[in-house]
Amino acid sequence: MNAVFAVLFLLSAALLLFRAPEGFLPALLTGGEKAATLSLALLAAYCVWLGFFKVLEKSGIAGGAARLAHPLMKKLFRSDDREATYLAGCNLTANMLGLPGAPTPLGVKAVRRFGEAGNTYAADLLFVLNATSLQLLPTTVIALRAAAGSASAADILLPTLLSTLFTTLLGGFLVWLLSKRKKR
Amino acid sequence: MKYLALVIPLLFVLVFLVALIRKVKLYDTFTEGVKEAIPLVLSLFPYLAAVLMLSELFERSGLSAMLTGALAPVFRVLGVPPETTKLLLMKPFSGSGSTALLSEIFSAYGADSYIARCAAVCYGSSETTFYISAVYFAGAKKKKLFLPVAIALFSNAAGAILGCFLCRFL
Repeated sequence: MNAVFAVLFLLSAALLLFRAPEGFLPALLTGGEKAATLSLALLAAYCVWLGFFKVLEKSGIAGGAARLAHPLMKKLFRSDDREATYLAGCNLTANMLGLPGAPTPLGVKAVRRFGEAGNTYAADLLFVLNATSLQLLPTTVIALRAAAGSASAADILLPTLLSTLFTTLLGGFLVWLLSKRKKR
Repeated sequence: MKYLALVIPLLFVLVFLVALIRKVKLYDTFTEGVKEAIPLVLSLFPYLAAVLMLSELFERSGLSAMLTGALAPVFRVLGVPPETTKLLLMKPFSGSGSTALLSEIFSAYGADSYIARCAAVCYGSSETTFYISAVYFAGAKKKKLFLPVAIALFSNAAGAILGCFLCRFL
């Protein structure tokens, strides 16, 4: 990330120097402003979901779900940490259901726990599964198409589902391949 | 679509009812969870700020347009329309930017055109990868993000090519 940041930042800044040097600071400030507004939106979502997750945890439902899913998650993430696999499982479920704002706090916690245990494979896998997230219902796209006067706004459902299934499988496979290569 | 609106409220009601039956102190527990929200956002903030400033710079400097121009012919050969390539490159950096671009494509070409459908599928099957990587790996000790990010970007690009191909038949 350090290299990516340095290269992209310097290239963009150099281009701006030639084209429109006065746009440099406003661009950075807009970015900062976006970070501030986004953080507020995230804070709102985290308040709702972290409160809800705590109730879920204390009610014992979480523990039950974790026990049920653990054998599968243990294989998938190669981790014996029940807390981490539970977080990862909830993250994936929330992702597929498209609950807005819910997957992130779970994912962040799970990746941290995997990272602390030195389980790079699990952290990478969870990230890639999120970044290629399996979309069961692309609600935003359907709403946008309907608004733009589409005759059948939902007809992109099947191609989207198939291509996102493909990206998820491909991403997972590549992470697995990477972990195999590292071992040797 | 209507029953979808029921999912979230039902989830809350069910979980809260079970918690009540098991004698959980609802108010105390809920607030205990909310307490974690501010430290979490604080720990993510520096990474978010850096990535969003970088994407703004990347977009406004014209570097993103140059990259799109360079990659468009390659993707065209693979069946992805140039307009969609722009969307595909924008999505990893900016969710709101790509949403705006998607609606522009819808109004420019019509929501039912091949280009619009390709764009819709590409939008739906890719993610804001840089943003997710910034947030998920924030504070993690691991610094080597290059490979997982590259895997995610590559998979999403491959998925977009497949999606555009599928749009011809489905």
